[in-house]
Order: sequence, then C-alpha cells, then structure tokens
Amino acid sequence: MEKNKTSEDSIKILNRRSFIIIILGTILSFIVSLRLFSLQVINFNFYKKKSVENKLSVKLTPPIRGDIYDSKKNLLAGSSSLYEFVVFKNLSKDHFQEVKKLNDLIKLNLNLDETLKNLKKYNEYTGFSLSRASWEQIVKFEKNKFLFNSIKIIESKKRYYPYHNFSQIIGYMGQPTQSSELYSKGVFHLEKSYEKYLRGTPGKIFSEVNSRGKTIREISIEKSIKGNDLNLTLDLSLQNYAQSQLPLDKKGSIVVISVLDGSILSMNSNPTFDAQIFEDRENNKIKDLLSDDNKPLFNRAFSGFYPPGSVFKPIPALVGLQNKLINPQKEVICKGHSSLGDRNYYCWKKEGHGKVNLKKAIKESCDVYFYELAKKINIDDIASLSGNLGLNKEYDIGLSNIGRGLVPSKKWKKAFLEESWYQGETLITCIGQGYNQTSPLQLATLYSAILNGGKYPIPKLDKNVPTRFTGRSLNSEHRKIILKSLNAVVQEPRGTAYKLSISNPEFVKIGGKTGTSQVIRIKESEREDDKYKSKKIEERFKDHSVFVGYAPYDKPKYIASVIIENGGSGSAVAAPIAHKILDFAFKNNV
Amino acid sequence: MFKEFKSIFNLNWIYFFILLIIFWIGEINLYSAAGGSLDPWASNQLIRFLFFLPLFFLVIMLEPKFIFNFAEIFLILVLIGLITTLIFGYTGMGATRWIKIAGFNLQVSEFTKIALVIFMAKYFHKLNAEKTIGLFKSILPLVVSIIFFILVAIQPDLGTAVIILALGLVVIFYAGIKLIYPLLSLGVIISISPILWSLLKPYQQNRIQIFLNPDLDPLGKGYHIIQSKIAIGSGGLKGNGFLEGSQSSLDFLPEKETDFVFAIFSEQFGFTGSMLLISLFFIMFLIPVLKTYKLTQVFNKIILFVLSFKIFFEFLINISMTIGILPVVGVALPFMSYGGSSLLSNLIICALLINFMSINEKKRMFS
Repeated sequence: MEKNKTSEDSIKILNRRSFIIIILGTILSFIVSLRLFSLQVINFNFYKKKSVENKLSVKLTPPIRGDIYDSKKNLLAGSSSLYEFVVFKNLSKDHFQEVKKLNDLIKLNLNLDETLKNLKKYNEYTGFSLSRASWEQIVKFEKNKFLFNSIKIIESKKRYYPYHNFSQIIGYMGQPTQSSELYSKGVFHLEKSYEKYLRGTPGKIFSEVNSRGKTIREISIEKSIKGNDLNLTLDLSLQNYAQSQLPLDKKGSIVVISVLDGSILSMNSNPTFDAQIFEDRENNKIKDLLSDDNKPLFNRAFSGFYPPGSVFKPIPALVGLQNKLINPQKEVICKGHSSLGDRNYYCWKKEGHGKVNLKKAIKESCDVYFYELAKKINIDDIASLSGNLGLNKEYDIGLSNIGRGLVPSKKWKKAFLEESWYQGETLITCIGQGYNQTSPLQLATLYSAILNGGKYPIPKLDKNVPTRFTGRSLNSEHRKIILKSLNAVVQEPRGTAYKLSISNPEFVKIGGKTGTSQVIRIKESEREDDKYKSKKIEERFKDHSVFVGYAPYDKPKYIASVIIENGGSGSAVAAPIAHKILDFAFKNNV
Repeated sequence: MFKEFKSIFNLNWIYFFILLIIFWIGEINLYSAAGGSLDPWASNQLIRFLFFLPLFFLVIMLEPKFIFNFAEIFLILVLIGLITTLIFGYTGMGATRWIKIAGFNLQVSEFTKIALVIFMAKYFHKLNAEKTIGLFKSILPLVVSIIFFILVAIQPDLGTAVIILALGLVVIFYAGIKLIYPLLSLGVIISISPILWSLLKPYQQNRIQIFLNPDLDPLGKGYHIIQSKIAIGSGGLKGNGFLEGSQSSLDFLPEKETDFVFAIFSEQFGFTGSMLLISLFFIMFLIPVLKTYKLTQVFNKIILFVLSFKIFFEFLINISMTIGILPVVGVALPFMSYGGSSLLSNLIICALLINFMSINEKKRMFS
C-alpha cells in the first residue's frame, strides 16, 4: 500500500461531509426520539388501555336469577341446575367424529346434518350445546369419558316454575336473540318487567390470554351476585283454588284483590299455559301453544275487555246522586221499557219492575230506572267519575299487554268516530253496554274504589311496593246508599243474586252486583232472565256472565271479579263462583 | 498479516466496553422476550458471542495493510457467496437468504456490507484523493453497489439490499462526490418511483401500503406495526419494569426476538430506557467518527466513518420500523436482535473499528 499524498483540501471535504452525515444522523435520532415521546409519554394512556385489552380476556359467568315468591313465601319461580353436553371445537380436531360417537353411545337422537352445519358456524372457544344430559346419560358418559376430548358436561341454571297457574302473571324467559346477550332474559309479564331487578350481576373471570386467545392464567374472579327475590301479593292457595273453579270448557277470568291495600291476591284466566315449556324448549308444545285459537297466552284478567253490563250501574247512580238528578227514595215506574224519541229501550224484565227506587233498581237490576236517569245525565260526568274510580286506566304493575279499556265521552267519540254523541248512547252506556270496555281487574278496582269511599288503593302485585291511594272522595251518604243496595243484591229476597244466600248459607255473607254482558243484541227482554234458554243461540254469541262481589258484606276485605265468556246470565254462572272464592279467601284468611 | 501483540494495550477499550454493555442489554432483552428464560434465545446468542470472540480479536490484530490488500478478494468471496445462496440457498419464510457453511446457516448478505465498504474505501483511496470526485469516477463503485443490491434484493431481502445500496451511496458521498450528483439522482429517483413501485413484488408493495396505513390489515401484515406500537406505547415514561412486558411475554408481538426486539426493550424500560439506548448507540457511532478527524488517509477515514455509520444507521432504521415511521423491511437491531450472521458481521465491523482506531498515522503509514 503506497502512501498517498492526500491534499489538505480533500481531507477537509471528507471532514465536512462527515459533519453533514453526523448532522443528518442526529436529526434522524431526534425524529425517532420525538416519535417515542409521542408514543410513550403523550399517548401513553391510549396504548396502555390497548395493551390491557390485548392481554385480558373477561369471561362473564351468568348470575343466579332472583326467585319469585307468593305472599306467604311459597316459591313460584326459582332456578334449578341443568346439565348439557357441550362440544368445544378447539379441544379436538375430531370433534364431529366424537359427536357422532356420542350420539350412538347415548341415544341423543341428534340431527347430525344440522348439528354439523351449526357447529361449522360456531366460534371455536365458546362451546356448542348439543343436548340436555339426564342423570343416566351423564353416568354413561362418565364411564366412556376417555373417548371424548372435545365434549364436556356443563352445568347451567334454568328457570323453574313449580305452578303453571302463575304463568300468565309471571311470564317466561326467552333465549338470547343477539350475540351481545349472554344468557336468557325475561320476555313476558313480570319476568320481563322485573328483568333488571331479578337478573343479578354477572361474575367476571379475568384471565391473561395470549394472541391466540388461549388462557395463560386466571388473574381474578369476581363472583356473580344473585338477583333480587321478588315477593308478590298473590296467594298460592287462592290462585290454585280459583283456577279450579273456572269451568274448563269456558273462557273466563277471576281476579281477587284486597279492599284494604289493593293487593292482587289471585288473578286467573282460562285457558292458561305452562311457562316451563319455554324453559325446557319443548318446541312442539310451544308451537301448539302459539297456534291455539283460544289464545292461552292471553290473560283475560287484564288484557280481556268486555262490556261490564249491569255491574256498571253504581256509576250512573253515583253521578245521579252527586248531581242531584235523583232522589234515592223517589220511585220510577218500570213497565218493561222506556222510550226516547221514537225508540224503545227495554228492561230485561219484560213485565216490568213496577215502582222502583234507587235501592230496588240496583238490587233487582232494573234497566228502566237507569234509562230514566240517563236521560238527565251528561255522558262526560259518567266518564269523569269512571276515571276517578279506576276505569279507563292502565295499571303499571309489570304485566305485558295490560289494556286501558274504555268509558266513552263526547270528546272520545268525536276524536275516534268523528261523530257527535247521541242521548240514546248514554242510555246504553248507563247499563254497561255500548262502547263500555272494562277488564275484570278494572271492575275489581272499581268496586274497591266504591267500598273505600272514592279514595282507593292502587292495585299492586309487588308486595314491596308501598300502598298508594288515588281517586277523589265520594259523599259518604251516597256511598252508604250504594253499599246498602249492593248488599241487598245478595242478602235480600228478589235480589238478582239472592239465590247465593239460600243455596250456601254457611258461606261468608257477601255483597255484589250481577251483570250480563251482551255479545250481540238479542232480544233485550231475555237478558238476565233465569229461564233464558240459549241453546238456540250459537255458543260464541251467548252473553258473558259477570259478577263482582265483596266479603264480608258488612266489613269488606276481599273483592272478587268474575267473568265467564259466553256463560249466560251473571247470577247463574259468575255469582256462585265468586261466592265460593270469596268464602275460600275469607276462611283461609289469605 | 498480524500486528505485534503489544499493540493490544493501545486499543480503544472504552468502545469495546460500550459494545459489551449493548450486547448485555440485548441478552437481558432476549431473556425477557422468552418470558424470563435463557432458553431458547439468550443462551444461544451468548454461546455464539463467546464462540465469535476469538475471531473478533483476530480481526482486531489484523494488519490494516492486509485488509487493504485483500479488499477485492473479499468482494469476490461475497459475490460467490451470494450467487451460491441464490442457487443452493436454504429457503425460509419465502426467501432464500442462507447457505450452510460448516454447519452454520450463514447469511452472506450481512458480510456483503463489510466487503463493499472495504472495496470502495480502497477504490477512493487509490483515486489519490482528488479535490472533488466527478460522476465518471463514481460510476464503478455505483455499479458495484447496484449489482450487490440486485443480488440481495432478488433473494428477496429488500431490507438488507437497501442498506447495501445506502452504504455504497454514503461512501460515494463521504468520499467527496460533487454535491450536484446526489441531488440530481434524488430528483431522478423521485420521478421514476412509479416505475420502481411496479418492479416491487406484491408482498413488498403490500408492506409499504400497510406501513402507510396499518389499519388496512390489522390482523395480517399491519398486525406487526400495530402490536409493536401498542407494546412500545404501553411502556410509558419509565417502562413496565424488567420481565413485566405483558405484550411481549404473551406472544402478541410476532418476530419479537428478531426485528421487533426493540419493542420488548421499550415496553419494559420505557421512554427513559429508549433514550439511554439511543445515547449508547450514538456514542458508539461518534467514537470512531471523532477519530477520523485525526486521520488523513482516505482508506482509514472511510472504513472508520462508514462502518461506524452502518451500525448506527441500522439501529435507527430498525427502531423507526418498530415505531411505525418506516415500513417493515427486515433490518436487524445490531447486537440485540437474535441471529448469528448479524451478530458475527457486526462483531467483525466493531473489531475493524477498534483495529483502525488504534492506527497512529504518524508512526505507521501505509508504507
């Protein structure tokens, strides 16, 4: 290597170039440092959060749902253990072969094609539930456990309803419909409306996972918290007894409430269904239930609306008294009909009631007395008082499809039918027909309002809800007159339900009002006639039989509201049922 | 061929000490990348280091004259090596980068960088140091650089190829080419970049696109960058602490022991640690560079400056990659990434630097 005679100038150039490169390198280092500062100091929180999300997997464990009890702590809805065969795809490549093997070994009767199709769609790490596992199946499986790497028996909780008579109040649970929902939730009635209250808090298992989602270790476990128990005002024995009193071949409903605090003690509807079939996924039974023309899912106690019939009469009576349109002692002569304009309005009693005062009009259910009263009444006063006494209202007590019903007013007719009000319609409304629509629960509440003197306790199903009163006070004299009349219906001869006192003298003494709610207009004179022969009339056009009664008649504690669809006259069908139930409630002190 | 033994006492031990510190940080880092285990990376890398150490000192003791004389031979050797790689090479991860020599998988392209710099240093030395170098005199080194660039790029190993070309250009620039040419060629490159783009393999185009927008493919190619940024960002100012890097220990970060080893480091030791590491590499870069100002021989100056620059340059490229300011092209982090060829070639470079730093031109000229 020869010594170079490098000129001083060229050395200078090299040194200058070296300086440029050092500067460039320094700038580059500075940019890198700035970027690191931005990542690690300025945006630290953002990346920290991302890293925690990367590292942690949270698995939710379903909580145990709160139980539902009746007022005496009898279990109406609880949770029970359920065992299922579950396949985990990630545990074995041969998972479908194992499913086939399991299907042969334990007669699961799986549809293999469908199972394979579903399995393919399913996530690797969450198991796919194949079928329920019975105890015998579990024993058989455990003996052959070594054959199955990807199949496990997993315990989960299912809802358990010991008494199907409560299904129409408690409702049922539904399977998750969205992927974000991890477990079933209430979809009907109380299970739905009390979902948050009953549900509880899911437990969380935090675990560290690697990039493939595999758990490396569990970090912490937050235990799930059981949901709150719900205590209802219902009474198990009364509910079951009332259901047994509903004629099996008739649609109908019975509601029993407490006069004292508005507690709903029982609420039945026929036909009914068993919520357990939804929990047990008995698909055939569910299909039958949903396609049943008698609509067993429909609770007639609060979703069924009917013309109240004569049960409505205390309202026009009270309006008459309040507005001084009538003197309770003054008699009206009933000749069997009353005329307005060129039209005749008939009393159910063809031959007429003769001289009728207010008490007799209610006791014997004279229509002509109320027609004459209705001629002086403004329909809006009826609507307004009805509203104060619990009709034309929706009760917010957690039930699905609870209706509002209707007591007509001029404003309503204008708005919905775009017609003005006719006086003739007031006559029909005052005997509980026409546009009037009330549910059995509303009728029970109406009588509770009358018995309580206007200020009545709002009906309730949740025992923990404090009793709240609503409505406006009635004149106590007016109340007394109405009560006397209602007592006379059952207690005095010629009362429409006097038969009750004779046939079952040992039962608790009750008051009440019969009603016959017209489905179609048949001869007016035939209504509420015990000799009323209906065989000629098609079943579905027969009148609804209505009765609202209370017991004991001198110190009312219970109200029963009964409707039997197409049952005929109120006195013949609904009244004896109500009497039995009130007697049961009274004797058992529910 | 070798210097006298006593010259070992005149070596720049400070530089060697910094090298040891960086290697040791790398060892600690590989240990934590394995989740607190020597196996499989830290122990292997240490064994390689100890195995290479005699060679390291051998290179230190080489006469600079020997290196000068054999410059062309080295270049021919790596040329043969590269061609052999292309024909007989061992294929891994879609690329043919390694050949088996005496039981070792050797990545010849790593050594190409050294041979090319030595060759060009000799070339410019021989030009007798003209005041400035014109275009004509630069053509040979440029063509050689481009040939090696192509040979490596078709393996394909774009990262190493780009480094080779960049080193060639840095030598030419440092040696004193008229400034007009680099500026001119920069303009040309920008104007023909669409053609260059079409020459890239689809996966290379893909990488650049994903670099520009990692969210295009968050679970595929963009995954590297996103995960690496999460790991680094979550380190914060002080870091999560030794062995506390959750992202790295939990396998969220692919290639964490090789190209993304900086993310492991930065997650554990944070911004503070990263700054310390940058400072160490910067000092390591400056020590030989400062020596060049005392030297007058072009060969010595180029060897010291460009090889020292090579280590710092790769360091910057690598961490720029992990923090998402450069596309992921596969450049190892010197002394910290797991891998034998990179370690060996960088040890040889450091040995050369230590060797050339001990040159006293007043006493021992090239004569």
